[in-house]
Amino acid sequence: MTATSVLKQPTVPARTTPRSPAGLRLTWLHLRSRRVPAGILVIAVCGTLLHAALHWHWTFNSGPYAQQVPMVIEAGAAAVIAVTVHSPFGETERSAGRWLPYLRLFAAVALTGVAILALQLGAAGQSLNDGILVLARNVIGFTGLGLLCSLVTGGLLAWILPMGYMAFCQYALLEAWTAPWTWPVRPPADRGAWICASVAFAGGLLLLTIFGPRIRLSDDS
Amino acid sequence: MSVMSIPLPRSARALRLEFKRNAVPYVLPLLAAVFYFDTLRTADGFPPVWTPRASVIPNHMLIEFSAFAGGLAAWAGSREGRRKTADLVAATPRAAWARLGATLAGTLCWLLLAFLAGVAVLYIQTALQATWGGPPLWPVFVGAAGVTVVTVIGFTCGVFFPGRFTAPLVAIGVLVPFQVGFREALSVTASSGTYALLSPSGSPPPVDAGVYYHVAPDLSILQVTFMGGIAVALFGVLGLVPGLRELSSAGGLRSLRTVFTRGEGWLSHAVAVLLVACGVAASFTAFALAGTARPDAIGGWQIPALHSAASDQPVPVTQDCTSSPGFQVCVHPAFSFYLDDVAAALDPVAAEIAGLPGAPAGAREVASMSGGQNVWSGISGNPPVFDFTAEHVGTAYGMFNGIPATMYIDSGVVPDAAAWREGFQQGLLDSFLIGASQHAGSVPLDAAQQAVEDALLTAAGSQPQDPFSQMSVNGKPSPGTSAAVSAAARRFAALPASARHAWLATHLTALRGGTITLAQIP
Repeated sequence: MTATSVLKQPTVPARTTPRSPAGLRLTWLHLRSRRVPAGILVIAVCGTLLHAALHWHWTFNSGPYAQQVPMVIEAGAAAVIAVTVHSPFGETERSAGRWLPYLRLFAAVALTGVAILALQLGAAGQSLNDGILVLARNVIGFTGLGLLCSLVTGGLLAWILPMGYMAFCQYALLEAWTAPWTWPVRPPADRGAWICASVAFAGGLLLLTIFGPRIRLSDDS
Repeated sequence: MSVMSIPLPRSARALRLEFKRNAVPYVLPLLAAVFYFDTLRTADGFPPVWTPRASVIPNHMLIEFSAFAGGLAAWAGSREGRRKTADLVAATPRAAWARLGATLAGTLCWLLLAFLAGVAVLYIQTALQATWGGPPLWPVFVGAAGVTVVTVIGFTCGVFFPGRFTAPLVAIGVLVPFQVGFREALSVTASSGTYALLSPSGSPPPVDAGVYYHVAPDLSILQVTFMGGIAVALFGVLGLVPGLRELSSAGGLRSLRTVFTRGEGWLSHAVAVLLVACGVAASFTAFALAGTARPDAIGGWQIPALHSAASDQPVPVTQDCTSSPGFQVCVHPAFSFYLDDVAAALDPVAAEIAGLPGAPAGAREVASMSGGQNVWSGISGNPPVFDFTAEHVGTAYGMFNGIPATMYIDSGVVPDAAAWREGFQQGLLDSFLIGASQHAGSVPLDAAQQAVEDALLTAAGSQPQDPFSQMSVNGKPSPGTSAAVSAAARRFAALPASARHAWLATHLTALRGGTITLAQIP
């Protein structure tokens, strides 16, 4: 290797990169640093998996067992959202940016919407037991738990609580629990279940917005 | 030099560090909570009989462990990639396989310890309640193999795809196949293909499984071989990690040759390839053998290539019987905790029909499956004895699954202790009124027989909850018949016991023959 190629002047002068609005760029950088584009791709995979499960009848058509596979996939989508809250920059970013709480809020809400949309598209044209309302309720409830978990474990291990709760709900489903806090096993129009799922989501969002995910624990283990 | 200061071997030190720094202990409280709610409470719903209780290990415990085992193993496996230290540790003298093996072993040790602790809790609880038998070990082996294979799958995914989404994706990636396998295993038949038997989870066994006959270990051996084969193959793949990474970065056949012929790593590469080949062969063999499964005589499955005829022999046992001189009730010692309840249920009805032709002199529990068929309750032998099973009495199912919670007759019967008691009484009277030579599992009573049965139940102190359950088994009763049957039953029950007995002694043959009408009942 010689220095010729390095010393040679570029024949075309570098163009000035067109400037996008600062807010947009900041949002995009924030989403990229959290691997949100990849997260959306993974959520789309979850939607495809749900479609495959319903299309090829991997799940039961009715009865308590019918919710098992959709619930696993919904918990998976929620876990992906929870994992995206992890920041690679840690304290440095927190001390530098005043928009960070709003960006966290925006990213979590937007991804939850995307997850509901993707799973709904996956279930479109198929027979999803209990319908889209239960799907949406499960996604927001599981996501809320994941966001809450991220405050304790950090973002990268925030999938643990949604998965644990989902494993418990598999049991509650078969035992026909009626407590509103077991929202995945309640009927679509159950008000108590909606309240509990919404409280979990709102609580997770609020605390995540204010405090952000824990930085140290999951990264150190 | 004190014992504590003796230096450990390098591999033991690495394992100790991995054990100490592992993420699994942080998840143990959550895992314990899920174990309590799912596994332990489900097991509590079964009677304290070893085989049904142990069935929760592959059916519940394994699934809940899998979600965490896969995710946490992926988390551990992705450490080098996540922290971008792959190049750093590649320069150390320790082989990549040993390094990854220590991390995998640390994670697997924690998970297996937690799993075995859960099994210990389950088995200790059962041991304190069970009246017969001992802990079955094959469900534990299947569960341990399941935890191991899920851990190795997750770890391998973490090594090769060290992203932040790997852990949750692996968690759902192992749960979905488990659920799908469970669904397929519930509906598996010999004609539709038996490959779904490789799924460790399936339908719970009959309540008396392992009581009258040994549970054949064929399926368990198959499942352990299948899952163990996958685990061994993937562990072998881990040994090829540096070579595969080199291959993916360089590419081409020449680099492939370079990787496998380079002097320093050829032995480990050869061992890794051998492990992959052995694992694939074991899994493929198990898969092929699963296709040869056929139903056995006691409601399970047997694999001809693995089956031992010794497991088909009945377990020798002496039944537990009531000591009263009259109507003697006998049950298997595994169900001796139900003996007094069954005797209390049957004695009043037996007293109502004592001395009549074909009236049973006692009752005994028999195996619920024989020759691959369900065994129904009925009266047989000389002197006649009422035979019932832990699963079937009359039209009731799952009698020994628990008194308060599980009994149902067709529909509409509230499960409670009175219904459980009446199930036994009705089963005995069904058999008696139809005739000693038949087993009355699904034979409907006619209107006169039903009226007499209801009257005898009332006289024995029970309240017939569903007078048409028997009549409606094979058809719809006409609306007018209901009132007529009830009226005849009330009339007959109002008679003195001696008058009922005398009428039955005279008309029993005609009643069994179906030639008595409701109007002829006094």
